[in-house]
Amino acid sequence: MIKRAILYTFALLLCTPFTLRAQQIADDSIVPERIVVKCSSYGITYMNNLDTYLSGYNHTGRGLYYSNEKFRDARTGNYRWKYQTLLTANTGITTLHDNTQLSGMVNYSWSGFHPFKINNRLQLLAGAQIQAGGGALYIPTNGNNLVSVKLRTAVAASGAAIYHIPSKRGDYILRAQADVPLAGLMFAPEFGQSYYEIFGLQNYSRTIAFSHPLNSPCVRGTFSVDIPVAWRKHSTTIRLAYTADIFQSDINNIRTHLYSHAFTVGIVRTIYKVKKENNIIKYTPY
Amino acid sequence: MIKKLLTYLLPAILLTGCVEEDRFSNSPQGNYDALWEIIDERYCFFEHAKQEYGLDWDAVYLKYKPQVQAAENNAELFDIYGEMLRELRDGHVNLVSDYGTTYYWDWSLNHPINFSDSLQRNYLGNKFRITNGIKYTTLPDSIGYIYVGSFESSISSDNVSLMLLRLAENKGIIIDIRNNGGGMLTAAEALAEHFVTEKTRCGYIQHKTGKGHDDFSAPEPLYLEPKGVIWGKPVILLTNRGVYSSANHFVMLMKPLPQITVIGDKTGGGSGLPLSNTLPNGWTVRFSACPILDIEGNHTEFGIAPNEEVHITPDDWNSGRDTIIERAIEIINALHEENNEKKGC
Repeated sequence: MIKRAILYTFALLLCTPFTLRAQQIADDSIVPERIVVKCSSYGITYMNNLDTYLSGYNHTGRGLYYSNEKFRDARTGNYRWKYQTLLTANTGITTLHDNTQLSGMVNYSWSGFHPFKINNRLQLLAGAQIQAGGGALYIPTNGNNLVSVKLRTAVAASGAAIYHIPSKRGDYILRAQADVPLAGLMFAPEFGQSYYEIFGLQNYSRTIAFSHPLNSPCVRGTFSVDIPVAWRKHSTTIRLAYTADIFQSDINNIRTHLYSHAFTVGIVRTIYKVKKENNIIKYTPY
Repeated sequence: MIKKLLTYLLPAILLTGCVEEDRFSNSPQGNYDALWEIIDERYCFFEHAKQEYGLDWDAVYLKYKPQVQAAENNAELFDIYGEMLRELRDGHVNLVSDYGTTYYWDWSLNHPINFSDSLQRNYLGNKFRITNGIKYTTLPDSIGYIYVGSFESSISSDNVSLMLLRLAENKGIIIDIRNNGGGMLTAAEALAEHFVTEKTRCGYIQHKTGKGHDDFSAPEPLYLEPKGVIWGKPVILLTNRGVYSSANHFVMLMKPLPQITVIGDKTGGGSGLPLSNTLPNGWTVRFSACPILDIEGNHTEFGIAPNEEVHITPDDWNSGRDTIIERAIEIINALHEENNEKKGC
């Protein structure tokens, strides 16, 4: 299983365009109006799922994980704000002895950060995030409750620390980021409510719940390192990352946790949008 | 600024505790406790079963506990767990594992069968049609006969309309659902929708809102809305003890309608929509979770009585006659004559 996952991961990586000379482009003739750092990462995730609507016991297993991040500066305000969009998806098979559960989740977030430059190497970011996500857990052996659908949106607090380590090939960039949802809305059936009643009879008036850290304590934490690599005349940046995606809820006597520990690898691409020549800004959103 | 951010963010992060379920161990006793508790918290007919036959779920726990402690292997445990579940006398309660599936069949097996496909063959003949798994034909004397043996496949409104159009010249129709063990509620409703002329309230559904035996939502009404070809002539609905689950639901929907007469035996019941959950060892337990009530707010878990009780007599059985179908033909002919008299024909 692990071998296969690694194989798939590298196959996907080969499909990613190999961007050349990514971060060394800021020479004396180009002015970037906007710089966007993009990274698509692929990897494997270790999952631990509990959803008492389907089963009162943890199902554990592995799956595939994908993330796509865009990080850019604000156009206005002298680069005082930075924006991040992040799309993550995971799918996997988890088991409880012979009982099998399939799951798939997609999450999207949009963040705005205010940077605090501590010194030339360290910068802290603090900001707000809007999250939206959905997916489903599926236990084929269950009868009328085969599926538990997850739909949620939230406003989160987000913070990050970015640290540069200079090297000959470019900077190694270490980043730690945490996102904590503070308030939101979530699809939450009542304790014994069937999907037949919700979707078939459309009795869904009480299935949207207000979520907050007391009934849905969630956090997503990412630790990544961007490694500049060079090969002959080409250079690029590889990102290795660990993401802990902790979704939890305890609403209507239905307890849920979806723990995903993902190890990913991706290629970092820096896109420079050029406005005019002869102005030089050596700058990266990091 | 940073200090302020940390002041607000840190408590939020610290609030991120783990959401776990109170868990039993994967041991004979742990699985037994988990099974008992799943039913205790999620099963929906405790009060009804207590009134009907005095079920005491706490006493059931104590009754089987010594057997669990003495069990020597999983196969034995599976049987003991199954026996405990049989105390609920509910055909929707099953335990599923590699050792098989436990069932409760007494709702059907302890009663006269009142159906024979050999007898039915004498009426269906060899020119019947099948649509969506429904067999239908026209009997002598211009009476339509429809046999719905299952609701496990979805039923198309268009196909039902075409079937009813083909039977439109008849005096009335017999809908035979004997030995229909159920399937999808939506299939039962799709068929029943051809027998109402306007949006009609036909029952209620509830669900559990908490772990207490009485924690139920307010009853939400169920409606039938007319679809396609609507049948307004007399309908005789044939039932026996093999009518269960969504077939029982079909009877519940149809019985209050003015053109419907239900004859045969009481249905088997099974009015709780079943959900499933798992034990620590991965075995799956299915149980009634959402009670469906009839138009008067009554449970139909233990069956629906017909308007007229009819059984297949031994003499008819031996002579190849289905007493219940014969009685249905009589009723339709009588209703037809009555209608003709009213019209002055």
